[in-house]
Amino acid sequence: MNCMDWEERIALYAGGDLEGAEAAAVERHIADCPGCQVFWSGLRETLGQLRETHSLELSPADFTAVRARVMAEIERGRRVWRRLAWVSGVGIAALLLVGVAVRTKLQAPLPPPPAMVRLSIPQAPLTVRERLPQKTMVRATMLVKLQTADPNIVIYWIGEY
Amino acid sequence: MALLVMATAAEGTRERPGVSATAEFERLMRRYERLVLATALRLTGSNEDARDVSQEVFLKLYRNLGKVEAEAALSSWLYRVTVNACHDLRRRRRPESPVEDAGPLESAEADPQQALSEAERRRVLQLSLRMLPEKERAALVLRDLEGLSTEEVARVLGSSEATVRSQISKARVKVKGFVERYFGRRS
Repeated sequence: MNCMDWEERIALYAGGDLEGAEAAAVERHIADCPGCQVFWSGLRETLGQLRETHSLELSPADFTAVRARVMAEIERGRRVWRRLAWVSGVGIAALLLVGVAVRTKLQAPLPPPPAMVRLSIPQAPLTVRERLPQKTMVRATMLVKLQTADPNIVIYWIGEY
Repeated sequence: MALLVMATAAEGTRERPGVSATAEFERLMRRYERLVLATALRLTGSNEDARDVSQEVFLKLYRNLGKVEAEAALSSWLYRVTVNACHDLRRRRRPESPVEDAGPLESAEADPQQALSEAERRRVLQLSLRMLPEKERAALVLRDLEGLSTEEVARVLGSSEATVRSQISKARVKVKGFVERYFGRRS
């Protein structure tokens, strides 16, 4: 087994992720291999620096800013919901009013039928009024047949319009 | 994401008698704000992004108040939501170019003995996290910086312990390589 095969285990060992037999095997190899010893100490040093660099001292201002933004967003969401609830409430109330009005109208008694009036129209001679010719119409001939009391006498009237 | 429904605990996130939901939420937010903000900052490497992520995480907590029952499970839940929110943010911001961020790397290699200020050293170490793949970065941050056990990290990331160990190991080796390349050393 060459040193490249030990790399992963040494990296785990450097971070304290190996225990028991695995840790003991790495320790034995490091003791016998100067290259891996350097690799291991380099890893430990880097990890130490990384932890030190990232041991963050976050300022209270950062937390305050986040809290303020979160609470503002929650409040904004609430306002939207309140507005939606108000609009829906008004809409529902309007629908209810319309429903009540329609129902009231349907249940109201029907008005009495209008009184029937009979009119007698005096007999008048029948007059036939021809329609005025349309400008677009072509001239045509009209034939009117008038039957007299005598079946043998028929009067024909021919006209143009 | 599946919500956690855990065993009841003496001090859960359920609304307690006489305490309004908002007051209960504010109590939880104050209690866990360091966990969320620090994790987000370590994963994103940016204060503004960390604040955005924290806001998203706490709003999610507010919407799920009462569903995450035990505070023992709440920290795992918050870690998971924070890691996912950071991943989402990164995806929205693609393409990300850590190589560009690591611009001074080449110039430093040209003169490895150049004295490096402490600020620069810190910047390189912070940058070393950003060049890691998402999962390896999350595993390293949770294990080495947040101090979670491998088992807890596996639970938070939804992976097996073997996978997490492999990710942590690779991440440590990569960070070491990155930092040593910058400082011009060879292992």
